[in-house]
Amino acid sequence: MTRWGMVIDIGTCVGCQACTVACKTENQSPRDAWYAPVIEWESGVFPNATLNYLPTLCNHCEDAPCVTACPSGAITRRDDGIVIADEDICIGSRACMAACPYGAINFFEDSGTASPPDALAVPQASVPERYAHEKHVHGAISKCTYCAHRIDYGVEHGLEVGVHPLATPACVVSCPAECRIFGDLDNPESNVSRYLTDKGPGEVLRPDAGTDPKTKYVNLQ
Amino acid sequence: MSNVDLSPGSREMPLPQNSFMDQFNLEARTQRVWDLSHAVWFTLMGLGGGVFLAGRILNLTEDLGHWLGIPMVDIVSFVAIAIGGLILVTDLGRPLQFWRAFANIRTSWISWGAWSDLVFLTVAGLLVLPALTLDGSQPFNGLGWEPDGSDATGLALEILAGAAAVIVMTYAGAVLARPRSIPYWNSPAIPIQFLLSSASMSLATVLLLMAINDQPINGGHMAMLGTLTASLLATMAVHLSTHRDAPGKQQSLESLLQGHHRRVFVGMVLIVGTLVPALLAFIGAGVPGARAALSVFAFALLVPGGLLLRLTTLRVGIFPPVHIPSSRR
Repeated sequence: MTRWGMVIDIGTCVGCQACTVACKTENQSPRDAWYAPVIEWESGVFPNATLNYLPTLCNHCEDAPCVTACPSGAITRRDDGIVIADEDICIGSRACMAACPYGAINFFEDSGTASPPDALAVPQASVPERYAHEKHVHGAISKCTYCAHRIDYGVEHGLEVGVHPLATPACVVSCPAECRIFGDLDNPESNVSRYLTDKGPGEVLRPDAGTDPKTKYVNLQ
Repeated sequence: MSNVDLSPGSREMPLPQNSFMDQFNLEARTQRVWDLSHAVWFTLMGLGGGVFLAGRILNLTEDLGHWLGIPMVDIVSFVAIAIGGLILVTDLGRPLQFWRAFANIRTSWISWGAWSDLVFLTVAGLLVLPALTLDGSQPFNGLGWEPDGSDATGLALEILAGAAAVIVMTYAGAVLARPRSIPYWNSPAIPIQFLLSSASMSLATVLLLMAINDQPINGGHMAMLGTLTASLLATMAVHLSTHRDAPGKQQSLESLLQGHHRRVFVGMVLIVGTLVPALLAFIGAGVPGARAALSVFAFALLVPGGLLLRLTTLRVGIFPPVHIPSSRR
């Protein structure tokens, strides 16, 4: 059984935010919606201060609280473990946003910019954001899908998911430091399983939340 | 120049509704998803379900006035729940899709709430329908059951409506308590607090209707109100004193007891909205002549206190950082 997952090696992340921007471009996520931001924090004291980076995204939890909380059934977990949101079914209760321990769910607020001319007139919006209304539903939530469309394309066309660029999430493809590794957690020969075998089982964010995430971290300080 | 405060943390700053990604740094974040409208919704649901139950349990429905033949306690209940439901619907991102809220009854407490609201309004509405009086006639009198539940069919409807009312009173707290994302909410104390607050607000409302209708309020009623309110206070005290150091809850408690929400929570919720009405109720239990006046005061304090309890609970919903680095542990 395929179970897609991601490993993020914090030790190699350089904090360039290329993943953040690649995700924004790939998914045309709405203004102020970030599916894959890199969180930064300082540690230490001068002259030994360090800037630390934590790339984040939806954790695609096995026990996903967003799926549980969603009253409309818009958020579901596919057979391959990817947690997806059907924006046409979403009613905008935002129960999932309160339930997600990772803040990984974004709400596309109806701010009166629903029509294309208005959307294009928003000066603060980036180019992908200006076209977000074409891809996303106002008043509904949206989230990272592990670029499920790319994975499905890869599976359909016999490409190796997590290796071929067209069959790999945009954030993984864009990472210059190769700190993100994607693949089948249930396949011991996949790149992601081999990485975890080599580097240890990996850790998860907010283990207290008990959500059993499929996004795992190596070298988490 | 505008005087709008745009400093970080100001509620007037047009920040996106996301717990932490608005700023890419590693801090605890206060949720901004749910606020006043949700607090009003929670309060009205608790009050509506509770008033129906209190009227029926105390067997007072026929003594507290009628409108169009329908007992006033039931009218108050229906109106509160209907308004609460409308607030919920209008707050949705896509209100016209509200019917989809019924879909996930398997795991979602909001779905349970939507169904319980619908079942309650339908069944309780059917229950009292034979009593509806229009222009001196009762067009639904032939429906075949007694609105006061004194026959088998009426009793069955009453029990079903009562069960739905209990869920209506409880589900808001369960919505908050189930996920582990916000430690202050993730506790059985939250639904218990909401249930006890709903019960005390509802009983106070029924006692207010008794006072208005010159019905005798006995010591048992006042003692019950005092016990419910004191139990609410005890539940809050336990919740405030346990797991104080848990990430997220620590910040919530600081905000409630020492920070921005201290005056409202300690002053208006704990003292004025809970402790004082409990004392008034217990005093009323021993002073027959003062019961009507004390009931009015208790109602005037408990209902705003209940609303502010829910509002402050929502506003101190704080997500801990997604990761606590070893250097900060």
